Amino acid sequence: MRKIFSVILLIIICWGIILSLYKIPFGIPKTKVGEYYLNKGKEETGAANIVTSVVLNYRGFDTLGEVTVLFIAAIGLGAVLATLKKKGKRKVEQASLILYTGCRFLFPLILLFGAYVFIHGHLTPGGGFQGGAIIASAFVLVYLGCRGKRINEVSSKTTESLGGLIFIVIGLIGLAIGGHYFLSNFLPKGELNTLFSAGIIPIIYIAIGFKVGSELAGVIDNLFEES
Amino acid sequence: MGELSLLSNGVNPVLLVVVPLALAFAVPLIGFVSKKIIKYIPVVAFLFNLIVALLLIPSVLKQPIVVKIGGFAPPFCINLVAGPIGILFSALIALAGLLVSIYALNYIREGPQEKYHILYLLLLTGATGVVLTGDIFNLFVFFEILCISSYALVAYLGNKAGIESSIKYLIQGSVGSSLLLLGIGLLYGQFGTLNMADIANQIHSASSPSIFVPMVLMITGLGVEAAIFPLNAWLPDAHSSAPSSISAILSGIAIEVGLYAVIRVLFTIFDASNFLMFFVFLGVLTLLIGEMCAFSQKNIKRMLAYSSIGQIGLIVFAFSIANTYGVTGGFFQLISHTLGKGLLFLAAGYMIYRSGSMDISTFEGMGKRMPLTSLFFTVGAFSIVGLPPFIGFPSKFMIVRAALSTGELLFTILIGIVLLGTVIEGAYFFRVVQVIYFKKGNGNPERKKAPISGLISMFIFVILILVIGVYPNLITKILNSAASELLNRIDYIRSVLG
Repeated sequence: MRKIFSVILLIIICWGIILSLYKIPFGIPKTKVGEYYLNKGKEETGAANIVTSVVLNYRGFDTLGEVTVLFIAAIGLGAVLATLKKKGKRKVEQASLILYTGCRFLFPLILLFGAYVFIHGHLTPGGGFQGGAIIASAFVLVYLGCRGKRINEVSSKTTESLGGLIFIVIGLIGLAIGGHYFLSNFLPKGELNTLFSAGIIPIIYIAIGFKVGSELAGVIDNLFEES
Repeated sequence: MGELSLLSNGVNPVLLVVVPLALAFAVPLIGFVSKKIIKYIPVVAFLFNLIVALLLIPSVLKQPIVVKIGGFAPPFCINLVAGPIGILFSALIALAGLLVSIYALNYIREGPQEKYHILYLLLLTGATGVVLTGDIFNLFVFFEILCISSYALVAYLGNKAGIESSIKYLIQGSVGSSLLLLGIGLLYGQFGTLNMADIANQIHSASSPSIFVPMVLMITGLGVEAAIFPLNAWLPDAHSSAPSSISAILSGIAIEVGLYAVIRVLFTIFDASNFLMFFVFLGVLTLLIGEMCAFSQKNIKRMLAYSSIGQIGLIVFAFSIANTYGVTGGFFQLISHTLGKGLLFLAAGYMIYRSGSMDISTFEGMGKRMPLTSLFFTVGAFSIVGLPPFIGFPSKFMIVRAALSTGELLFTILIGIVLLGTVIEGAYFFRVVQVIYFKKGNGNPERKKAPISGLISMFIFVILILVIGVYPNLITKILNSAASELLNRIDYIRSVLG
């Protein structure tokens, strides 16, 4: 009975969604906001990557919110896990020499790649979130391969907080001097398609990269402790 | 020139969101300097917010302040709309946040306190963002901030009940958020914009079935947080197993903000006056079910949680009457519920702490053991029931007047049912008051007071309840302009799009 009921409910919802999707023309550039970004984005923000110009400039406030959501998820996980009882120390079996050396060899390379992705966020696909996730993957590798090594909690917390604060402080500087708008792009836009262009966008993306990297690494650290 | 325009515009409403957020990010850094000062950070943050919100009220009453983030013209940027509703809610959030954080100075002694204060700050930052934003996707983002921090805080005590109810809340809340996101996606597909005023401007140009589906999805999604029947199964568990300071915020702020989002979507974006009759019945149903469930509870916090459902039903009913009296009464009842229920949860928190149990029967003789806290609880209970001279009386009276002013037989009958709900409400609250004062406890009658910070915070709640109850005119001006902002969507659209 319950199953039949849920199937019927599901069909009704799907039918409704199909009905309203049916009206939306696909493949036609009709959205006025999107068109505006494509036409004016490069000129107004100085970022060659239009996605980045939307994410960090036109809709930068959302990104601040998303950064906060990730921050809450990490803190919330820490808060819930902190109340559970800690088990005794697990026996850690050392990984083989090849795995150990391989991980240590790859670790700086992955960090470099992650840093490349977020520093070039305004030029090429990628950005702070993606670069941060890549950096965190380097820490997963170390946790799996070089068991016993741990991240430094103080420095990861500091990076996390500073990353968020830099984002807000840059926004507030924009409010104070750059035309009285929060998050306004008050730095010179530079030449399109060069590393030093797009004003505040690369600085914010670097801050996000550090923040996301340390946050995800912290989440992994928290989960390792409990497993 | 620049400084002049800054002064004439007053403070920027974006600070209401950004300053608590920055302080939340800074908490771990401040923790390295001194662990002791962390608990004062929320107090500072919400004191700041309260002052800013109060400073903004005079200019907002003249015309809404539209904040363009990034300096682009709407609809191409995200904009905040600090109108009477936004500032009224921000002030309410800051007030409740301030008082509850003073209470928490001594109440939160166990667990990862640093994380508690970060999450508490972020919960209320999210709530402030929801009420101020004028962009529908931004609303979703702040809604997520509000919800995810409340999931974590419900589980803060780490006991089995807390974790279980947190997971229930998490699952239902996530389903709700997904539906909301789906609705927003469909709207964006049709109109190519996320700006609320811009969508509202074009809403009548689209065919009705393609509007109806996103509306249903969004209202259902938001209704989970607003605890409208039948989407409120998570609420009694979550509100009763969270720490009492968090219960006060969840009950006093979180569901109110959910309800704000529902009415904003209904009235401003969709202009859904055809569907309001449905919400009238939904409100009355929510009210009756909440009050009847509350009546049968033995656990004090579950009783208060069900009573919140009842109150939400009453507020939904008031808003759905959709005339000036009704909407004004709805906003008034929101304020009265925040103050009353906040006070009740805070007082119950220390009573539970002393008696060691949430069972109402263990409160016997509490009137002698904790005279002040019991008195505060009684004031809160009488205010929620709607006795004069407390704030609950003028707010409920206004709703009754609104229903009668429609002159329709249906509303007269419905308000009779609503008053029946109030009678049930009175019955269970008086039962608790009777247990507190008129039954002798068999335990030791030693007098133990709640800590001074808790008493101060509850005392301010009591003062507010009494003062606004005696002089409701103090807030009628902002309530009236909030009501006209909600009812005149054309003015809202014009103030944003120019």
